[in-house]
Amino acid sequence: MSKRPGRIRRSRNVSTLAVSCTLAGTLSALPACTVPPPSPIDPVSRGKEIFFNQTFNGNGRTCGTCHPARNNFTIDPAFIAALPPTDPLFVAEFNPDLKKNFENPKLMRQFGLILENLDGFDDLENKFVMRGVPHVLAQRTSVNSNQGPRTGWSGDGAPGDGSLRSFATGAVIQHFTKTLNRVPGVDFRLPTDVELDALEAFMLSLGRQQDLVLPLPLKGIVSKRGQEIFLDNRLGKCNLCHVNAGATANFGGGNIGNANFNTGVANLPDQPANLAGERNPPDDGFGRPGDGTFNTPPLVEAADSGPFFHNNAIETIEGAVAFYDGEAFNNSPAGRALAAADPNKVGIELDGTQIVAIAAFLRVINALENVRQSIELLEAGGAKGFADRKDARELLERAVSETQDSIKVLDGAGLHPEAVAHLQKARKLADKAARSFFRRGALAGQAIDEQRKARAQLTEAR
Amino acid sequence: MLNRCLRLAAVVMALGSALAAYGQEATEIYIPIGQSPGLSGKSSLIGNLESVDAGKRTVTVSGPSGAQTVAFTERTLIWLDRSLQKQPNRSGAMADLQQGRKVEIKLRKGEPKPVAEWIKVQVPGAER
Repeated sequence: MSKRPGRIRRSRNVSTLAVSCTLAGTLSALPACTVPPPSPIDPVSRGKEIFFNQTFNGNGRTCGTCHPARNNFTIDPAFIAALPPTDPLFVAEFNPDLKKNFENPKLMRQFGLILENLDGFDDLENKFVMRGVPHVLAQRTSVNSNQGPRTGWSGDGAPGDGSLRSFATGAVIQHFTKTLNRVPGVDFRLPTDVELDALEAFMLSLGRQQDLVLPLPLKGIVSKRGQEIFLDNRLGKCNLCHVNAGATANFGGGNIGNANFNTGVANLPDQPANLAGERNPPDDGFGRPGDGTFNTPPLVEAADSGPFFHNNAIETIEGAVAFYDGEAFNNSPAGRALAAADPNKVGIELDGTQIVAIAAFLRVINALENVRQSIELLEAGGAKGFADRKDARELLERAVSETQDSIKVLDGAGLHPEAVAHLQKARKLADKAARSFFRRGALAGQAIDEQRKARAQLTEAR
Repeated sequence: MLNRCLRLAAVVMALGSALAAYGQEATEIYIPIGQSPGLSGKSSLIGNLESVDAGKRTVTVSGPSGAQTVAFTERTLIWLDRSLQKQPNRSGAMADLQQGRKVEIKLRKGEPKPVAEWIKVQVPGAER
């Protein structure tokens, strides 16, 4: 009884494929239609499947709930506002067992903040912190340090050996549970070794696989100046802790990998979450009890993945740069260390034009990364065969989303309007390609041409 | 210039980055003995509790590679693994370190002698 439906299904699938192939064979415009040989699923594909679909028998959330591909693998209030009320992100609003001490729906919806029990689970009422969701792009260049892997906002986001591989286990326990008892085998199941391997492989495959090499031959006057200030260890001093706009530090003695600093973000006045009047205990960062330090995120992906800092305290990239010119930073241990090493005993002191210039630089390198990713997605989507149209559509829709981001980060500061015009054309073409049955490859190719024209407006580099 | 950078490095490193990057302990409490990713079966010590010396603050654990004595301090976290009972794991105390119980010990890095960072103690199935 159980085998028969399977036979029927297989038979129907073979028939459908045969019809599709016959149809494809008659249309020369279509890519070749061949039946792919069965192949073992590679760890990245397996990891992707787990990342977006596996609930680990928990409350319905997946990794993709908080790290959606269509929103740069992070969430923000605008994205959250567009979700249906039944989305598992809002599980605390409809699961009575998670109503208290699991999330703060108000802070989640208004500021994109997630509840974490980083200092233990023995006093859920009082011991918690509210944190933003970091994107998981460019993990390959961001996680390692001389002291071992650093995950999450404070470098200690994983149980076990503290690695990116182990991160998912901690996330399942914290965020996927059905009740606050958090009993494995009852409230969730723990990921297996095979699943952890696959999730790690998938996360490492996302985004940049290597750091930039600055300076870039930028064309924009303001972004070019921003890059100079960024790299100037006497003025912007950004490159000390964000080497090549990445997530590693180098103070002259060699790259030390990802590093933790107490930059005083927690001491910012008028933090949005505090203004909301909700309970928001201080976040003490790394360790238990914490030492007030947080690790550096990569900056290339920053401009389109705000709000910024571990507490989502600042909405704009200009505001995030301006933070380093303020009192909270300059009175912090990191700010005072910079001042101590400065010949004029100054931490970081920038004027408005310089802040905007650095932000313009960050916007442009973000847009260049968007273009790189869009081209990669368009090439992959355009090359998919007739039988893979679902995969092709997914890739091309992500290209549309990336292109939309590049438009937003440039347009948001009035940068490179000519490039924006090309990107708008590229977006339309990619969108058409995603929906096209017969001209997908050609339209993707045209979109790639527009992406390249946009890139040529931003940089001399090819 | 290089000296200045090195001086800066020394100051900033002392303030923040010279920390051991051990994993977050908060969710570790809920992971049953032997299932801690990247740790169990590799660098943790799993065995039965042979003896406890409260005065010297040491425990001796007999595992597959023989008996090993490990020190514990006031910073050592003790957790009760109640997964056999399908009950939530809890924080424990020294009194829970009872002879014969199965334990898993994570050793603190960078110590000259073995010192426990945390000890998980398995609570037998029938016990509450």
